[in-house]
Amino acid sequence: MKRWGLRHRGGDARKTPLAGNGIFSMADAVPGKKYRIVRIDGGYRLNSRLCAMGFIPNEIFYVSGASRGGPLCVVVKGTKFAIGRGMAERIQIREI
Amino acid sequence: MAKEIREITIALSGNPNSGKTTIFNNLTGLRQHVGNYPGVTVEKKTGVIKYKGYRINVVDLPGTYSLTAYSLDEIVARNFVINEKPDVVVDVVDSSNLERNLYLATQLMELDVPLILAFNMTDVAKKSGKKIDIGLLSELFGTPIVETVGSRGLGSDELLEAVIKVVSSRKRKEKKVEVKYGEEVENEIGKIISVLKKEKVPILKFDARWIAVKLLEQDRDIIDTLKKASGPEYSKIEDAVTGSINHITSILRDTPEVIIADGRYGFINGALREAYKEVDSGKLDVSEKIDRVLTNRILGIPIFVLIIWLMFQFVFTLGKYPMGWIELGFEKLSVLITEIVPQGLIRSLLVDGIIGGVGGVITFTPNIILLFFAIALLEDSGYMARAAFVMDRIMHKIGLHGKSFIPLIIGFGCTVPAYMGSRILENRRDRLVTMHINTFMSCGARLPVYILFAGAFFPAIAGNVIFSIYLIGVLMAVIMARVLRATRFKGESDPFVMELPPYRIPTLKGILIHTWERTWMYIKKAGTIILAISILVWILFTFPMIGNNYSQDYNGQIEKIEQSYRSGEITEDELNEKAAVIEGKMAGERLTYSTAGRIGRFLEPAFRPLGFDWKIVVATISGIAAKEVVVSTMGTLYSIQEAEGQSDSLKTALYKHYHPLVGYNFMLFTLLYFPCMAGMVMFRKEAGTKEMLFQIGYTFLLAWVMSFLVFQIGRLFI
Repeated sequence: MKRWGLRHRGGDARKTPLAGNGIFSMADAVPGKKYRIVRIDGGYRLNSRLCAMGFIPNEIFYVSGASRGGPLCVVVKGTKFAIGRGMAERIQIREI
Repeated sequence: MAKEIREITIALSGNPNSGKTTIFNNLTGLRQHVGNYPGVTVEKKTGVIKYKGYRINVVDLPGTYSLTAYSLDEIVARNFVINEKPDVVVDVVDSSNLERNLYLATQLMELDVPLILAFNMTDVAKKSGKKIDIGLLSELFGTPIVETVGSRGLGSDELLEAVIKVVSSRKRKEKKVEVKYGEEVENEIGKIISVLKKEKVPILKFDARWIAVKLLEQDRDIIDTLKKASGPEYSKIEDAVTGSINHITSILRDTPEVIIADGRYGFINGALREAYKEVDSGKLDVSEKIDRVLTNRILGIPIFVLIIWLMFQFVFTLGKYPMGWIELGFEKLSVLITEIVPQGLIRSLLVDGIIGGVGGVITFTPNIILLFFAIALLEDSGYMARAAFVMDRIMHKIGLHGKSFIPLIIGFGCTVPAYMGSRILENRRDRLVTMHINTFMSCGARLPVYILFAGAFFPAIAGNVIFSIYLIGVLMAVIMARVLRATRFKGESDPFVMELPPYRIPTLKGILIHTWERTWMYIKKAGTIILAISILVWILFTFPMIGNNYSQDYNGQIEKIEQSYRSGEITEDELNEKAAVIEGKMAGERLTYSTAGRIGRFLEPAFRPLGFDWKIVVATISGIAAKEVVVSTMGTLYSIQEAEGQSDSLKTALYKHYHPLVGYNFMLFTLLYFPCMAGMVMFRKEAGTKEMLFQIGYTFLLAWVMSFLVFQIGRLFI
């Protein structure tokens, strides 16, 4: 149930960036641009995992590539990751 | 004069792609032992070195980003450090990516184990303009730091020296460097520690502060362990922890695990600010350039297909030659045994049972070696991760994980290592679905069966027919993956995150060790389990013995022919030919009389609706030992002396006996019914008895149903 709520929130953020503050999900990030991570809507497990990989609030990253409908290529803390769309939708970001 | 040899255990830890394995290889060379951590299917590599009077056991921990309880690998690595208490933990760090790699180091520091940092790939770091003040950093982290260049074998001795130094100066406790998480979190840690002390919670081997941190991070593994150890008393701790988590979340507006991670990075960045300088070298990242092509939206998949195609060409074209030599060797060995061992059961056991069974498996070794070599090359160069990236969208659609395709590809070579390869999937559901459909990736051992049947029934279009079988296999895998996902293995698949490491030129040594390890695992299987099963199958096919119960007086017939040869009525060639025909008939009758033959007859009614007669059933049974054995069984059943390599006449015999529809149907059945015994043994090892039985049951049922449909529908058109 909890998961549903989180996914739902991610989904909303995708469609309408929260008014005024320009927060949206990583799934909508454009290749080549730099962004800042705002929040991760995962459980403690996913949060810990992503933090260990360097996806942590306030961290700057850029998208180096993406396949249509498939995973994104994201560079964070000097390392490139392939990150699934479902996961990307749970990471809230903003432009810098 | 007993010179005291001191024994030391060191554990190698490090991020994936930090070059940990290279360091391990440099330290231990070929003296490695691959096993499993007790109770889990995580690979455990160990090696022993003798150095300056020390016997040093090196344990290669799984490569992890952290020591949380996210994956089995992480739990295994952590538990090894906590429970086995290695004398020293060496954390291998990629020097060109310090901030991220040192994250694991901070967690090891929290565990308060004797730690050495191996700053690996220092050459790459220096080249790209990074300046590291090793001395200062070592002081800030409170651990010795050794520089290494794994790819060129540099720094191994220095590392061992450091290990010995740490071990011999163990007594005098150096000042411990502690990562602090800020006032709020530290207060809560203090509170939890005092509750732990007040309630006298058995904190086992753990350090109280470490437990408190783990509880704030909501580490499942630790929570469960504590619950088990402290019983109902645990609720008090639970309340305290929940209170602390809520307090931290409300004040700092983020959950404790994020704040704590932030604290660790803060500590690292603080240290790096003082001891590390990055000069922009102005060079364009080569990896980035390669990625623009290899993971390109449009080109990505065609390039992937091309690379896999090249890999198969490499494996099968090149493998053909040594395979031929080994086959020839076994043939010669059979002849030799036939010459020195008198006719009888022992000779039959050696030649038909053991050489026939084990030899068949060993013959594939060159292919296996080349396949593993190619895979190691793709892995070590960094392409494998890209391939998973490129394939993720497609794999995701059929309910699999991007990484699933790796074991699936291996499955085309041999299903046994493919099951082993499924370990790369962290989520159990993902892993099991991938394993359950892997058998439909038609393995190399099935190819001889296809070659025989396609050649017999469709000589003009044999290639296309065989290709269609492979295609049906892939299709079945896709369908069954979806079915399994929707039924037995419901639930979300693991979120897909995977590091795309920089492209590197692999070291030959690393690749050879990789290849050898996996090949050895395969050969070991052939020598143990497959040997046992070959003997069992031989018993089934040999007993009860026919004695004098032949339907005709064959021995009399042979005598007659020999007589007519002696009297000059027929030539020697004619004699041999006629004798061979009779001996073939005898072999056929012996087989019919045996347990296997009886089982075949008994089961025939169940296979009639598929168009199969009892001979095909017997061949199917023999295929359980190893699929390619089907060919030699068919040979025996059709009374063709296989040793003379007359597979053309077997083809003719098959063509005369069966309709092409049945021939095709049998190929389909061979594709679908569960893989060989060796595969099943591996399946059980990886996934447990229950899953293995499910695999056997459902693939067999599927094979039956599919063949039933093909035969019954096909019959309407002929």
